Amino acid sequence: MPDLLATPNDWPRILLARAGKPGASIAGPARPPYDPGDLEAATAAGAWAGFRRVVRDLGPTGTIATIAASGLRGRGGGGFPTGEKWRTAAQQPVDRRFVVANGYEADPAAAADRTLMTIDPHAVVEGLAIAAFAVGASEAVIAVRIEATEVIAALEAAVLAAERGGLLGVDVLGSGHDVIVTIRPVGGAYMLGEETVLLKALEGKRGQPEQRPPYPAVRGLFGAPTVVNNVQTLAAVPWIVVNGAPAFAAIGSKASPGTVLVHVRGPRGEGIAEIPLGTPLRAVAALAGGVGDGRSRKALLVGGPSGGLLPDSVADTAYEFEALEAVGGHLGSRSIVEVDDRACIVDLGRLLTRFCADEACGKSIPCRIGTRRIAEIAERAVAGTPRANDDGLLADLAHDVVESGLCDHERLATLPMTTGMRYFREELDAHLLRGTCPAGVCHPIALPTPPPAH
Amino acid sequence: MSFVPGLGIARGMALTLRRFFEPKATIRYPEQPADVGVRFRGRLQLLYDEWGTLKCETCFQCAQACPIECIDMGGLDTKGRYHVHWGPPETYGERREESALRRSGRTVPDRAYEHFEPIDVTAVDEILERHDHDPKQMLRILEDVQAAYGYVPVAALKRISFATGAWYAMLYGTASYYRHLRLDPPARAETRRAFDEHRPSEGAYLSGLGAALGGGDGARPAGSAPSADARPS
Ligand SMILES: Cc1cc2nc3c(=O)[nH]c(=O)nc-3n(C[C@H](O)[C@H](O)[C@H](O)COP(=O)(O)O)c2cc1C
Ligand code: SF4
Ligand code: FES
Repeated sequence: MPDLLATPNDWPRILLARAGKPGASIAGPARPPYDPGDLEAATAAGAWAGFRRVVRDLGPTGTIATIAASGLRGRGGGGFPTGEKWRTAAQQPVDRRFVVANGYEADPAAAADRTLMTIDPHAVVEGLAIAAFAVGASEAVIAVRIEATEVIAALEAAVLAAERGGLLGVDVLGSGHDVIVTIRPVGGAYMLGEETVLLKALEGKRGQPEQRPPYPAVRGLFGAPTVVNNVQTLAAVPWIVVNGAPAFAAIGSKASPGTVLVHVRGPRGEGIAEIPLGTPLRAVAALAGGVGDGRSRKALLVGGPSGGLLPDSVADTAYEFEALEAVGGHLGSRSIVEVDDRACIVDLGRLLTRFCADEACGKSIPCRIGTRRIAEIAERAVAGTPRANDDGLLADLAHDVVESGLCDHERLATLPMTTGMRYFREELDAHLLRGTCPAGVCHPIALPTPPPAH
Repeated sequence: MSFVPGLGIARGMALTLRRFFEPKATIRYPEQPADVGVRFRGRLQLLYDEWGTLKCETCFQCAQACPIECIDMGGLDTKGRYHVHWGPPETYGERREESALRRSGRTVPDRAYEHFEPIDVTAVDEILERHDHDPKQMLRILEDVQAAYGYVPVAALKRISFATGAWYAMLYGTASYYRHLRLDPPARAETRRAFDEHRPSEGAYLSGLGAALGGGDGARPAGSAPSADARPS
């Protein structure tokens, strides 16, 4: 697990509030500040106060109103208002509902969610319990990566401790509500991070997405209304309940309040940091140490494997949902990768697009074939064997895939190449039209075959 | 027939007029669904692309959707890992063996057409018992089967399908989708692993990202291919 990075001491901490004293640096290895199996220690650190408050005072509707008032938006990438999602699920006229914590963390190069679940598993479990109580779900599931054994152990210890303390299980805190939490390790595909795919895996089916709408909040796991929330979203919930919605709304940007854990990577290092939403990209990237001496920043990959490649000229963009979308990036896996001038954008685009194409589930044609054809164009460009119409084909294909995609994966998978076209036109043209690589990364540059010697 | 000027036109127009006032057969699909028999599923046809290769990418969608499991398929699955053999595959394979291949004296070189190897199913039955024969627990059932046998034998899939009522195509789809489930015994899995490693995957992605970040001195060693994963299509 990567280390925590040093952030300015006056930055607010919500998700990592328990990792250290306010105002003091928490940089260093990510270690839990308390033993997850020890409920006393966790309670002393501040855990479960929010849940008690929800059960005793707020009640389901009050809780949903508080979360809605705080302006909390989903950290899983889409930024959907959490309060609204909960309300939709709570309003469905059925008896059985589910709440699922999405801790799958699909991006192999990101570890922010895993870090959160290791440092403060009780915050995630408490947030999940609050969500379950608020929407009236008696069954809650935490989905984690099957390989993340440390995280599974921490969560299991936390759930067991909370069950022993009467905070989870049947008739919690004498309220008459049941909250049964199970931990389900899943694995085997990138797509499992997508909510409808994750639900398929929990149902024991092949992991392929469903058409939305109906959203899972209306029809999800086993056909019942299901709230799927990222673990970071859920971990912010107890803080909001304890500190109040206005305190949360005051942090971060106006449209996207709160903080988010990001994984920052650069040529000089990597790590996890909690940043208020709305922080300029430049400042976020600087946390990992920036580029080396004598080098310049070439691009920021914002959003994981299907992220946008953003040039230095938009590095002042605020790290928040709408602003990023406008410049061609997205929150995605909350990973930010900074590459310096030695990197080739087309080669990077090829790497990302190939990964996305390979992980595409195969359910719809834009997904099964569209992503592959885009990857093949990028591969031809990198190999120095572009076809004459590749340039136009790429633009067309990307447009069609975005228009006709079934799930967000194939839509976002076009981003590396479309942002490449948008910001790095010259470099792309060098590959596609002249068969050269300005950065000197790609090769071989195809030369016309000499006529055979006689 | 005597020649009456304009008769042909008049006949033609008469037909046009008659049709004009007849009820229309054109419907505004998809706003207005066609009125066909409840079991009508259209006509199955595999298309070829402009290079003459089948457009079918062996994605399982049709076989999984087919309510009577009549679709038989062979080829590599979308993840390029396993030879797809389902639908009524064994019946097909056997019949092909008997009727065509064996009579012509040829052997069947393709493993996809071989009958699956039998296994001792007691362990599968115990696992099914433990999970209440519940198809909703399928992922766990399959994981347990893999733990018991070291892989997920096709015979076990057949057994599970029979015992739980889950469609074989769905089951096969699930079993072949997840990277941690193997359909081959460990010995054969060795060769499979070599095959898997050749595929772009999380590992290839991470090392590529590392290289882009400079990974030490930065520049990629001269002579390295654009990447091992740039496969010809
Ligand atoms: C390809 C793809 C991968 C995703 N991976 C993740 C993931 O690893 N973790 C996650 O929380 N959400 C992921 N999401 C987003 C989820 O679909 C979903 O929006 C999210 O879990 C909802 O939680 P939120 O409302 O808290 O954001 C992914 C989406 C797509 C399209
Ligand atoms: S397997 Fe997929 S691509 Fe092939 S015919 Fe069926 S649905 Fe079409
Ligand atoms: S990844 Fe296959 S439909 Fe989106």
